[in-house]
Amino acid sequence: MSTALEAYFAARIYEEGRALRRTTLRHVHLADPPLGIAMWRLGGERFRAAALAWGPLDGPFQLAVPGEPRNRDLYFAALQPFAADLCARIRRTAATLVARERGGVTEHIPVDALQLVVPNKATVSALGLLGRYLAYLSDRGGVAPDPALIEAGKHLRFYARHARVPGQSLLVALDQLVAGHWATLLSPFEQANLAALDAQIEPGPGRHPFEASAAAEATARIGPEPTEDIDRTTGALLADFNAARGTSTDPATVGPLAGPLREHYHDLTVPVWQLMGRVVTRERPLPAAPSVSRRFESDREAFGRHVSWVVTQGGYYRTTDTPRQAAITLRRLEDTLARYEADQAVEDPARMIAHLLDGDAIRGTVASLTETKVVIKVRAVRRMVMALDSPDPVILPEGKRLWWTATASGHPWEVQSVQPNGAGSRVVLMLTAKPTSERLPVAGDVITLSTLCTGQQAFWLMPPENPPWTHRPDTLPAVPEPIDAGDAEQPAAPVDATAAEDPGRYT
Amino acid sequence: MPRHQPDPAAATALARVRGQAPEIRANVRRLAAFASVHACPTAAVAFAARIDTNRVLAGTSMEMPFGQSPFAIGRGVAFEALLRRHGHAELRRVLTAGLDTDFTFAAIENLREGYQPNRTGLRLRANVTQTRMAEIAGGPPEPVILDGAVLHADIGGLPAFFEADEMAIGVGGQIIVGENKSWPVVDGKPADEDALGAALDQAATYVLLGRQTLEQAGVDPACMSDSVVLVTPRNTGLAPSLHRQDVASRIRRIERLLSAVPDVQETAAATPQSVTFDAVADKTLPETARVEAFGQVTDVLGRVYEPASCLTSCGFAWACRACLFADADPGLVGGQVARALPGIASLSRVAELGQGAPASPAEEPAAVPLARAGRLYDEVIPAPGQPERRTA
Repeated sequence: MSTALEAYFAARIYEEGRALRRTTLRHVHLADPPLGIAMWRLGGERFRAAALAWGPLDGPFQLAVPGEPRNRDLYFAALQPFAADLCARIRRTAATLVARERGGVTEHIPVDALQLVVPNKATVSALGLLGRYLAYLSDRGGVAPDPALIEAGKHLRFYARHARVPGQSLLVALDQLVAGHWATLLSPFEQANLAALDAQIEPGPGRHPFEASAAAEATARIGPEPTEDIDRTTGALLADFNAARGTSTDPATVGPLAGPLREHYHDLTVPVWQLMGRVVTRERPLPAAPSVSRRFESDREAFGRHVSWVVTQGGYYRTTDTPRQAAITLRRLEDTLARYEADQAVEDPARMIAHLLDGDAIRGTVASLTETKVVIKVRAVRRMVMALDSPDPVILPEGKRLWWTATASGHPWEVQSVQPNGAGSRVVLMLTAKPTSERLPVAGDVITLSTLCTGQQAFWLMPPENPPWTHRPDTLPAVPEPIDAGDAEQPAAPVDATAAEDPGRYT
Repeated sequence: MPRHQPDPAAATALARVRGQAPEIRANVRRLAAFASVHACPTAAVAFAARIDTNRVLAGTSMEMPFGQSPFAIGRGVAFEALLRRHGHAELRRVLTAGLDTDFTFAAIENLREGYQPNRTGLRLRANVTQTRMAEIAGGPPEPVILDGAVLHADIGGLPAFFEADEMAIGVGGQIIVGENKSWPVVDGKPADEDALGAALDQAATYVLLGRQTLEQAGVDPACMSDSVVLVTPRNTGLAPSLHRQDVASRIRRIERLLSAVPDVQETAAATPQSVTFDAVADKTLPETARVEAFGQVTDVLGRVYEPASCLTSCGFAWACRACLFADADPGLVGGQVARALPGIASLSRVAELGQGAPASPAEEPAAVPLARAGRLYDEVIPAPGQPERRTA
């Protein structure tokens, strides 16, 4: 983040009364249409979806409302249609494969992958917890849970874990998508509210984005965690529902009784669904960055591996990584993040601005290109020396390696010297490879070089199969186990804040 | 943090500042929250005057939604009740399993019961807390659990009693802070990592105040352990589990933050007679008058707005943000941006400098990168009406 750029954005938005684009390209794949999911939990109940809406985002949503989500039978009965639909969509999408050649090996990966979009990052975490709960369900009274619930749990867990991969497009949190593509007056903390973000971008006629987002923040309800007012209404409706049903969990009995709760959550979900649709519709027309298709191919590959493991082989995932697995995952995530940042900056000039301001990149006019010979080890080899005139002062050490954005996956240029040149600088660089036409700009070109490289810099070895004793845990990671033992407990009665001695204790 | 005697003049000044604003008793949780906004003079005065910042602006559009879901409160109440049921059987079981010490016959003293809910009651509870903590340090034969402790401490020169939600667990001459939270832990990880951080901050504040209490009693404060225990439900139900965590670095951080709190008595004495939250909290006044009164108070006292900490800890955050917007203050988008703009007072001026307007000598350091940012952005995405100047 460049603070100068952030300050400039804030000032312009304040003065002009409109949000500004951070990018000229879209850096995330958006399906047409993706499968939207919105969710409302019961306050404090991390595993209980009081309502779950889903469906293609260009159409109406289906809504699962269990009535009393802390009752296992009612909860599973309500979630079953969602689970069955999700599993069917994933299986259908993964069924069509395409051959891919890589390193002389032919692989088959899905042609497409089911994309989920959710309103915010909090929903990603909520789906991950719901997935953890459903994926390892235990039997009750000798009755096994519906297999679709277990399979859907595994899918949700996979999606939530995959959402950590920088630049992935399988599970898109719309607040992050918008915050990544738009500059607003909202701080990173406030950007977690999708309605506030949307209000900054489309504040409505005659309204300043600040006023529009403040109003949205106060009134819009996005989920998954309910506000006090939502759960006050839910509490009253739920009390009526439980009183009317007694101990019944028969769908024919409880279905009609859940009507008021269904209506309550339907009314809450409609604006969220419209908001999600509006956001996706606004972002989709922006041209996709060239690297989006490559990243989505990686997503499809991961999606295919997952479906093969879970659906074809009936496999489960670990719930706690081994130290070796954690090290590999961390390394992969870090590499992917570096590559994603490099891709964005190299492909999108708007993304490069922050790097130019932070001194990680230089832009200038090619003043001259001179071929020379240098001795590398014992041989004299051809090298190209370029003089670049930057209109801005440059501070870079000798030997610093920079990649020309046109060949960011190739060989770097090495800084030979930096001299003042009028108000700017003249930077002399030498290509660290044999000069070929595709590796060279032409004198007079305005080019950008940066520390960002989109190519593979080094091959890294996998950690040993048997880690040394220094990296072995005292106790082995826990075997995945069901976490649903508490389903049999009596639900806690709601307590109004006015009746609690000190409600802040339970924040 | 030296101990001071209460200054009646300062107390009167603080009461005047409070006016009809709702008052709130100090507790460790609020102190931990205050630590995150301690740099703000308005927050410091409100803290000193015991103003409930969450309720001062009640009834206006600036009132922040800090309300809790009844189900979330109910879950917390049910979890605490579970731990206390049948002579604290569940609490004894989980502590025995987690601390490798038999708590079957541990003495459990609940200081929330049997004392008046007023300052006299707090003073008595603070005395008992200090005595019991000194006894624990002496190493009683059986473990001791102290529930609802009250700690006496000076923060910014203000002596106050702080109620603790947590427990003091005495084992073998060592005091371990224990805290109950109703969010679940799954696969050894908290379901809500932000909540974990807040809980550990509260526990670290408790350790810090506990050490002060021990010092006042002439007992070695080192017997207050650096590690704390969290008792939380495991998985989907309420079955409790225990986790022990070292919070030494958090203790140091909070100590540093609280030692930097300005002397509130001096602040109160220096506050002009006209400054009071009386009109801000007056529900008979129209909203505009109340918000305007708030702006006047904070203009005099000063405000430091950091979105992430203020919006989670202070009930004045929305009102402060609105004041910043009205003033075109660069702090609106956070302190990091504001600190990068030395010598520039308003966003309007930042916009001018971004368009290449000549800078004064004071503005020069920030003006150069701003002008460059404006030029680079305009090259890529021209402002409406500007010709495109896109580079290769």
